[in-house]
Amino acid sequence: MSSSPKSSHKNHRSHFPLQKSLFQQNAAFPHSSPVHTTSNKTANSSYGKPISASNNFAGDFNHPCPHLLELRSKLGPNPFRNLQDCLEVRPLGRVSVRRELGQEVVQCGACKASSPRLFACVACAAVSCQLHATSHAAQADDNTGCSSPSSFHAIAVDVDRVELFCCVCKDQVYDSGFDAAVVLAQTAASSAIGSIHCPPPPVPAENLRKRRRVEYKPWTPDPNERALIVEKSSPLPSRPSQLGEADAELPWGLRGLNNLGNTCFMNSVLQALLHTPPLRNYFLSDKHNRYFCQQRNNVISTRSHDSNNHSNKNAARLCLACDLDAMFSAVFSGDRTPYSPAKFLYSWWQHASNLASYEQQDAHEFFISMLDGIHEKLQKDKRKPQIQTGSGDCCIAHRVFSGILRSDVMCTACGFTSTTYDPCIDISLDLETNVGGPAKLTSAKSNHSCNGVPDSKNACQSTGVSTLMGCLDRFTRPERLGSDQKFYCQQCQVRQESLKQMSIRKLPLVSCFHIKRFEHSHIKKMSKKVDRFLQFPFSLDMSPYLSSSILRSRFGNRIFPFDGDESDSPNELSSEFELFAVITHSGKLDAGHYVTYLRLSNQWYKCDDAWITQVNDNIVRAAQGYMIFYVQKMLYYKASERQVAL
Amino acid sequence: MRSSVKRPPTPDAEEEEQDREPTLQEIINIKLVESGEKERLKELLRERLVECGWKDEMKTLCRAFARKRGRNNVTVDDLVHVITPKGRASIPDSVKAELLQRIRSFLASTAL
Repeated sequence: MSSSPKSSHKNHRSHFPLQKSLFQQNAAFPHSSPVHTTSNKTANSSYGKPISASNNFAGDFNHPCPHLLELRSKLGPNPFRNLQDCLEVRPLGRVSVRRELGQEVVQCGACKASSPRLFACVACAAVSCQLHATSHAAQADDNTGCSSPSSFHAIAVDVDRVELFCCVCKDQVYDSGFDAAVVLAQTAASSAIGSIHCPPPPVPAENLRKRRRVEYKPWTPDPNERALIVEKSSPLPSRPSQLGEADAELPWGLRGLNNLGNTCFMNSVLQALLHTPPLRNYFLSDKHNRYFCQQRNNVISTRSHDSNNHSNKNAARLCLACDLDAMFSAVFSGDRTPYSPAKFLYSWWQHASNLASYEQQDAHEFFISMLDGIHEKLQKDKRKPQIQTGSGDCCIAHRVFSGILRSDVMCTACGFTSTTYDPCIDISLDLETNVGGPAKLTSAKSNHSCNGVPDSKNACQSTGVSTLMGCLDRFTRPERLGSDQKFYCQQCQVRQESLKQMSIRKLPLVSCFHIKRFEHSHIKKMSKKVDRFLQFPFSLDMSPYLSSSILRSRFGNRIFPFDGDESDSPNELSSEFELFAVITHSGKLDAGHYVTYLRLSNQWYKCDDAWITQVNDNIVRAAQGYMIFYVQKMLYYKASERQVAL
Repeated sequence: MRSSVKRPPTPDAEEEEQDREPTLQEIINIKLVESGEKERLKELLRERLVECGWKDEMKTLCRAFARKRGRNNVTVDDLVHVITPKGRASIPDSVKAELLQRIRSFLASTAL
C-alpha cells in the first residue's frame, strides 16, 4: 500500500482497539495502478523470477474463492515484493508475521482473545479472532469505495502461520504467488547466503528431453526381422507336454532351486531376482549374452590390479552376470525339475570370498554382494569418467535398483540446512519396538489396500500393529540428533544440535525394503532377532516419501510449483508400486530358514528351495517379511500378462 | 472469564486498552510470549506430538471427514470443530506432564 491510504486508515484502526500494528511499513499487498490482470501467470516474485503458475495449481482448486480473485484483480503485477519484510522466519522453518520488540502479544481487536487463531486483515492490518473476522470484513466494506485494495477487507492473513483466510467464505484460501513468496522467505532464511537453497545435482537435462521427445511407437517386425525371428529361434512350448497337464497351468519361470548346503539365503534372493520384471526382461532379451561376454573372454587390464590373489586367467573368467544369464535360460526353459545353482554359487564364492562357506548367511548381505558382482566394472577408456551416481547408467543392477536418497540436516539454532544426495540400492527400515496411539480412535479409510479391505494404517497402529508405511513414515520423519552428535553448522560456526530428515529424491524401478530384524548389541555381545509382525500392502504409493512431498510439508500449508523435474506428470505416475516378491525368515538368528513368496499373474507361489506350491493371499499377508520387493506399477502389469510363445 | 466480553466497535478516537486488570492467565501468557518461552514450548509440543503419532491420527481424522463430506464442502472451521474434542482427549499424559513441568519451572524462575 502506498502511504496515503495507510494514514487515512489510522482512523479506521482506532475503531478496533489494537494491541499493536502489525505491518510496519508498506503492507503485504502494495498496489500501483487500478487496472490489473487476473492471470496468475504474470505474478512475479520480488526476486524477479517468474513464479510460473503451472496448470497444477489451477487444476487443484476448481472453485477458487471469488474474494481472493477480486483482490488479486486489484493488485499490481508485483504485489508481494515487500512481503518478506513482514515475515519472521524461525529456525525450523516456522514463519509468522513479524512483530516489533515489546509488542509480541497479539490479541483480537474486538474481544482480546489471543488464541487459537488470529487474523490480520490485508487491507488495514486490524487483528481479529476467527469469530470477529467476518464482522470486520462486513463492516469495513461499508466505509470506502470498492475500487482500491485498501478498502477490500475480505482477505486476512493468519498471524502465526502466514496463511490466507477469506473472512467472507470463512475458510482458508490459497494463492500461488503468495505462497511462493513465503517459501522464498523461508528458504532464504535457511541457507547461509540467502539465495535459493542448494539445487539438486544437475540431472543432464538433455537426456531427459531426448527421452521425452521420442514418441512411443509400438514395435512390429518388418519382413526381414520376421524371417530372422523364425529362422534363428525356436518357440517355447506353451504346454510342456512331457510334464503333464497340471504344470501347464503354472506360469513361466517357476522352477525350484536345490539347496546346496544352507544356501536357502541364496535361493530365496535368486527367486526374487529371477522374477524382478526389468531384470528378467533384460536377461531374457539377451542383453547380456554369456557366450559373447566381454568381461569373461577378454583379459581386462584393470583386473590384473585386483587386490584378490586370483590369477589373471581365473579373474577373467569370473562374471556373475553370465552365470545369472545361464540361470535365467535354465529357469525359463519350461523344465520344471529343480535346478541346482552350483556354478553361480561357485562364482559368487570367488567374488565374495569372505562369505564362502557352508554356514548360513544373511540374505540381505548376499543381495548386496550379488548386485555388486553384477555391477560391471567400467573400463576407463570406454566410458566417460563421470557417470552420475544413482542415475543407473552403469549396469543393469543399478538401472533396476538404484535410487537417490536426500538427507537434510537442519541446525536448530539458526535454521541453516545442509543437503546431501546419496545413491542407494535398497532401503533398510527399523522395526519400532513400541507403537503408540490410543485405541479409542475410529478407523479411517485410506487409499492403500491393506488386508484386502480399505483400512487405515493408523487404525492399525492404534491397535499396535507395525505397518510398512509406518516404518517409511518414521524413516522420513525429522529426527533430532542427540547432543553427542552435534553437527557443525556453517552459519553458526559451531557445533549445534540439529534435525535430520531423509526423503527420496529419485525412486528406483524396483524398491527393495529390508526390514532390520537382526539386532546386534555390542553391549551384550550378542544378536537377537526381532520377530515382530509387519503388515505390508500389496499396492504402495511412495509419493508421501518423495523429497518434493517432504519439502512441501516442511514449509506448511503452501502450494507452489516445486523446482526441478519432480512435479512432472511422468513422475507422478511412477510413484505407484506393486508388490511382487517377499522374502521371509523363520526361526532363530543362527538357525533359520528363508522362503520366498512370488506374485505371478496375480497368483501367489511359495518358493521353498526346491518346492514350489501355490498359496493363498492370506498366507503371504501373515508372513514375516524380511525383504519386500516392489516394482513400479507400469512395469508390473506387463509382467503379469501371460507370456505366449510366438 | 472477563476476556469473553465482546465490545462493539465505536468510532472513538481514544480507547482505553487497559481498563481492567489483566487476569492471571493473561499475565502468564504475556510473560511466556515476551520471554520467547511460549515459542520454545510450542516447538517442544509439536515434536512430542509428532513422535507419539498424534499428528498422524489427527490427519487421518481430517482425511476421513473430508472424504465423507466431499472435498469442496469442507472448511477449516469444520475440521477444527471435528477434531478438537478428540484431539484434546487423546494427548498422552506424558506429554501433558512434561509441558506442565516446563511451565512450572519457567514460572518459578521468573518473578511475577
